[in-house]
Amino acid sequence: MSLARVFRPAVRSPRLYTPRTPTYTASSSCLSRRTYASQTPGNPVMEVFNRKTKHLQKDRAARNIDESRKTDYIKDEVATRLCERLLDIKRTFPQVLDLGANSCNIARALTMPDPDPDAPGGSSPPLSTRISHLTCIDTSEALLHRDADEPFNSQMALTRQVVPNLESLPFAENSFDAVLSSLSIHWINDLPSLLAQVNSILKPDCPFIAAMFGGDTLFELRTSLQLADLERRGGVSPHVSPLADVKDVGGLLNKAGFKMLTVDVEDIVVEFPDTFALMQDLQAMGENNAILHRELGPISRDVLLANEAIYRQLHMQEGDRGVPATFRLIYMIGWKEGEGQAKPLERGSGQLNLKDLLGGGSF
Amino acid sequence: MASTKTRPIEKFAKAASKCSVEAAAYGKCVVADYNAVQKDICAKEFMKLKDCFLAASKKP
Repeated sequence: MSLARVFRPAVRSPRLYTPRTPTYTASSSCLSRRTYASQTPGNPVMEVFNRKTKHLQKDRAARNIDESRKTDYIKDEVATRLCERLLDIKRTFPQVLDLGANSCNIARALTMPDPDPDAPGGSSPPLSTRISHLTCIDTSEALLHRDADEPFNSQMALTRQVVPNLESLPFAENSFDAVLSSLSIHWINDLPSLLAQVNSILKPDCPFIAAMFGGDTLFELRTSLQLADLERRGGVSPHVSPLADVKDVGGLLNKAGFKMLTVDVEDIVVEFPDTFALMQDLQAMGENNAILHRELGPISRDVLLANEAIYRQLHMQEGDRGVPATFRLIYMIGWKEGEGQAKPLERGSGQLNLKDLLGGGSF
Repeated sequence: MASTKTRPIEKFAKAASKCSVEAAAYGKCVVADYNAVQKDICAKEFMKLKDCFLAASKKP
């Protein structure tokens, strides 16, 4: 059946042709104003995390200096791995920014002796020798200054700066030769805007190197708390904050104007004696839940007890000494556009068929 | 600072660790069909776990 035949009876329907003269003006003027749906000016403000809560959590965690230092194992490890990536860039960096420095873990990693085990001479100077000045910014004064008296502070030029808000950076355009960030930007509400700002404060052809928690981090705790909540209380409340996924990060960097992107993922699995130790450590790291619409107050004791049992049953393998917790790290490197930078060729300009190069065959 | 006083959560963890048999029974019950968990589906097992936990937390 053709479309014309379907429509014909409807067009001929007498009701449609009935002239309706009165009371038509109001609705017709309303109709005439209809336009295409469009976004209101400015970017929509995304609020996922409560910035104030996060600030308080970090501040509180850092006040207990012993606990806070003891639970720095992940931040120190990730900062070290992040700084290893600087070994591949044969440059000196006059001005470097550490965005969301926590307790200046990056500075500590930069001053470590002999960072390159594969160096030709057998030993290499600390990475800090290539950096003239490091600016560490964070929102929490207590956390930022926690290790201000440690020996690594005297081994490199270092400035600590407390900023009211990590989401708007108080720096001029083209002021840094590299921006580093370790385990901070997963608490940023508006990541696209932050990345665009980072791109603008970098000098041309300079790198942004960052590590953040992503996707499946703490999936064990997330799932078992959901089950415990469901079984004990009949509903679910978010206890673990949402995180960006690996596949989104490339797009985000691209959108912010970064070139030559590298994104890679790494899992660190830590074993804890029980789930209470895990939650205690997260709290001491200042990494506890800060979702805007989280349930206030502590998790009920029943749910905690149920969670411990379910976590063990669901996620412990034979032979595990403790309960495993996965931390998924997303490392990203993006370069600000600059002169003389390698660029991808234009689409369709390829002279070689990849199929020939790979030895033909059928696909 | 924290070493002189045990935190409530540590007491809680210690008491919970004494009920591994009951915890395993409850855990198995929930995990057995974790796509269809409802409120109080394992209430019986949980009460056993809680009784054990309460008894364990009373002891000095």
